[in-house]
Amino acid sequence: MVLSNALVAARRTATSALRRHLSTPAPAASTGMTLNFNLPQETLYSGAAVDSVVVPGAMGEYEVTADHVPIVAELKAGTLTIKAEGGEEKYFVPGGFSLTHEGSTTDIVCPEAVKLDDLDPAAVTANYEAAKARASSAEAGSPDAAEALIEVEVNRAMGGALGLSLA
Amino acid sequence: MTTPTTFWRLAGVSYVQYVTKASSTVRAALKEPAKSKAMAQEAFGYNRSHWTGGEQGGKTKVDALKSVGK
Repeated sequence: MVLSNALVAARRTATSALRRHLSTPAPAASTGMTLNFNLPQETLYSGAAVDSVVVPGAMGEYEVTADHVPIVAELKAGTLTIKAEGGEEKYFVPGGFSLTHEGSTTDIVCPEAVKLDDLDPAAVTANYEAAKARASSAEAGSPDAAEALIEVEVNRAMGGALGLSLA
Repeated sequence: MTTPTTFWRLAGVSYVQYVTKASSTVRAALKEPAKSKAMAQEAFGYNRSHWTGGEQGGKTKVDALKSVGK
């Protein structure tokens, strides 16, 4: 009785080890991800095979690799890093959207994207201080105050990307 | 509509206005060769035309939005 129970138990574990429940088989070796990165005025990447993209999402920064779960994110002002065979490319973006689809394709659209080398730290600092002054002098809750606060926020983000610490 | 949660929405600024302002801020901080090229993106103008009976009249340039529609 005890021996036959043990044999039944052994057979049951053996078959359940071969059949995986609540999971799907791992896909065949992934070929990497495809990136489409567009601005209204220019296409930066179109159907490009890259290793990964670090996306500055408004809810947090995340890295997209091959077979990433589909995700849609609004972007905040920050650095977008594209990692590919030839190295890393960094762009500073003021905002935009990133859509990652089933099948390792990611579409990123931004109103503007600049290389970090093209940003002038002195201009960022000066604009930041000017915007801060304007924000404090404007009527709280008015569109002018909002515009000044947007400038403060974006300049601070640029400062962060350039290694300046703007308070 | 649901309660606005962002400072710009609360101040009556739309998303498009917000992201356009953010883009201008980035362009304003560029160094020279890239800056002139990017500033071209900021330029905009308006034309107006009057439609009668399904036909578009001639287009004229608009200098200020405030003067249109009067």
